[in-house]
Amino acid sequence: MKGFTATVLIWALTSPNGGGSQAWPTHTACKDGSLEILYQSCDPLQDFGFSIDQCSKHLESNLSIRFGMILREDIKELFLDISLLTEGASLLIYSYPVCEEDLPKFSFCGKKKGEQIYYAGPVNNYSFDIPQGEYQLLLKLYNENHSTVACANATVICS
Amino acid sequence: MAPPVSCFLLALLLSASCKVVTSLDPMCIEKEANKTYNCENLSLREIPDTLPNTTEFLEFGFNFLPTIQNTTFSRLIDLVFLDLTRCQINWIHEDTFQSHHQLNTIVLTGNPLIFMAETSLNGPRALKHLFLIQTGISNLEFIPVHNLENLESLYLGSNHISSMKLPGNFPTQNLKVLDFQNNALHYLSRQDMDALAVTNLSLNFDGNDIKGIDPGAFHSKVFQSLRFGGTLDLSVILKGLQNSTTQSLWLGTYEDADSQDLTPAMLEGLCDTSVESLNLQMHHFSDLSSTTFQCFTRLQELDLTATHLDELPSGIQGMNSLTKLVLNVNNFKQLCQINAASFPSLTDLYIKGNQKELDLGAGCLEKLENLRRLDLSHNVIKVPDCCNLQLKNLHHLQYLNLSYSGSIGLESEAFRECPELEVLDLAFTHLTIGALQSTFQNLPRLQALNLSHCLLDASNQHLLEGLADLRHLNLQGNRFQGGSISKTNLFQTVGSLEVLTVSSCELLSIDREAFHGLGRMTHLDLSHNNLTANSLDALGPLKGVHLDLASNSIRVIPPRLLPFLSQQSTINLSDNPLDCTCSNVHFITWFRENLQKLEASEETVCADPPAARGVRLAEVELSCGITAVGIFFLVVFFIFFTVLLVFLVKFLLRWKYQHI
Repeated sequence: MKGFTATVLIWALTSPNGGGSQAWPTHTACKDGSLEILYQSCDPLQDFGFSIDQCSKHLESNLSIRFGMILREDIKELFLDISLLTEGASLLIYSYPVCEEDLPKFSFCGKKKGEQIYYAGPVNNYSFDIPQGEYQLLLKLYNENHSTVACANATVICS
Repeated sequence: MAPPVSCFLLALLLSASCKVVTSLDPMCIEKEANKTYNCENLSLREIPDTLPNTTEFLEFGFNFLPTIQNTTFSRLIDLVFLDLTRCQINWIHEDTFQSHHQLNTIVLTGNPLIFMAETSLNGPRALKHLFLIQTGISNLEFIPVHNLENLESLYLGSNHISSMKLPGNFPTQNLKVLDFQNNALHYLSRQDMDALAVTNLSLNFDGNDIKGIDPGAFHSKVFQSLRFGGTLDLSVILKGLQNSTTQSLWLGTYEDADSQDLTPAMLEGLCDTSVESLNLQMHHFSDLSSTTFQCFTRLQELDLTATHLDELPSGIQGMNSLTKLVLNVNNFKQLCQINAASFPSLTDLYIKGNQKELDLGAGCLEKLENLRRLDLSHNVIKVPDCCNLQLKNLHHLQYLNLSYSGSIGLESEAFRECPELEVLDLAFTHLTIGALQSTFQNLPRLQALNLSHCLLDASNQHLLEGLADLRHLNLQGNRFQGGSISKTNLFQTVGSLEVLTVSSCELLSIDREAFHGLGRMTHLDLSHNNLTANSLDALGPLKGVHLDLASNSIRVIPPRLLPFLSQQSTINLSDNPLDCTCSNVHFITWFRENLQKLEASEETVCADPPAARGVRLAEVELSCGITAVGIFFLVVFFIFFTVLLVFLVKFLLRWKYQHI
């Protein structure tokens, strides 16, 4: 009977997880001596690609990023929610309109469901210094129907 | 067989059966019975047998159909709308849609199409909308033309199209929308444009860097809308549009697009075209002066959102026909810097989200006698005594939006200058109002007033005096003194109210006569407060109301209050700590009998007793009558009592007899 239990246990441990979906791999958005930014897609349907061109404790204004993904929703309207935590305590919650009907800020605004996006260009950010520490970032992009367009769990490690 | 081997076999068997279970057909989501289904993201390789033959609207995106042919959808002959986004379709073979006569929309976005057969789109009697976005098309001859006579919109965005030359036999007579967003069109020739022999077309060239247009290519053509978003050199476009007529011309740019500063010379081409509405969002103007606008004289609408303006030049001549001006997201310091006198016919003015604190000044808009709509929302405004000086002479203003606008002190009769106001939005603006002032006095036409999250003291009973025609009132997120709406309250002066929102006001109670005189009410939102059933007495005077009581503290609703609920049209009682014991049995019975009136009944659940916590009220089984055991004991007791009585009577009679 011992053997039976052991085999069942081994089978249960090694067989693919049927119910819960697999987590997407953790990617590095940027890394240099003192700063490391890691992210993982929290959209169960898909992963996406993201990188920041300049990586330093002192963030310049108008950072250049690269971003690639497939749209699963129309993005006539697109909003970004950012929540920043450190050691479990919330530091900042912020919502920013990326595309609006009366102000499409970026050239990709208005793309349709199923289109692929590759964006390489500036984001409209302020320059600031990142204090030392480890931060958790939750980023969510969603459209006018509150349907998820992209979702990321990111970790910022500044030493 | 050795035991470990048999065990291993057993485990294999188990895992095999598990695989069978997981590979069962994943289910499509039914949105409308027998008609509308969503089967997206299910890795399907064919139409599942579970879909009924009567399906009309089918979202089938993100599945796997490398080849589609006449057998693929043959069972679903009633299809009207078919979305095949990103199904990795390579081939669309002959007669794929042969039997789909009703089909009017086909979405093929994001498929790596290799070939579409000549007759692949034949069949539908009136195919109206075709989406071929990001399908790798480089030549428009790729699109089979045989059944496109009824086509109204054709989306060709994100392809490799460098010439918009349509095939000679391409039917354009019904075309209304032709979308070439994000292609490689650099030159528009006269022949290409002549092939579009149709008027009132909407043409989209956003994200194409147009470097040249044949002179006269747009000569005497009429368009509904033309978009050239993100084009580097606007003078090329404007010269190319010579002698054309366009209702709406979109020439804005983006944060990530290169653009040149706009000079008066670049905008000269506008003098030779007829445009009703022009958008120039996010451009920079160099040498901004009144001459910049010399060719804008025939415009009716002008959108200068985020154009880095800190003022509009004075002395702009001839812009008498402009009725709508959008100046959102600019850098004005004072409202007078827009030099409003240049636009005497203006009916709509939008200055939303200004990047600097905006000083409203005095009488800055007084020359705008025809102004109907004014939007000053999302600005940083600090005014201690608003608004008669600031809105001087706006006698015909009907719509005023001051929401999300810093802090404003409202004087008594604050809107005397705008007696025709119909809609006033002050949401999320910190208002300071004197205790005894009638701020909104003399607004007899005001129909909608939004005061949500204005940090007001809503106990001020004079607050709404003078609003004889007010129908919609939103007081969400304000405070009533003591958390209570008393007998004498601010609603007594607005008897014409139809829609009232008093949610998130930290209310604990409502007086039973608080809503007297509000007989016209159709919607009442009391959600997100701390009300208990005692406050339901106040509903007595209301009938046929859509009533929202979600997220309150209602536990037991006594039988005498049930008629007050019965006389309303719909009721939401979700997220209340409802009692599901016998003390609430009348309400629970009523609830189950009136399910058609109840909204969000899925979220209406018991909080008590602990055993029933989370159970939906509609499914609670209560038996609060006498149980069988009780009846048995009662019967036994009754028999025992009768026997005792008989014996007692017998004994008494005997005793009496013995003493005679």
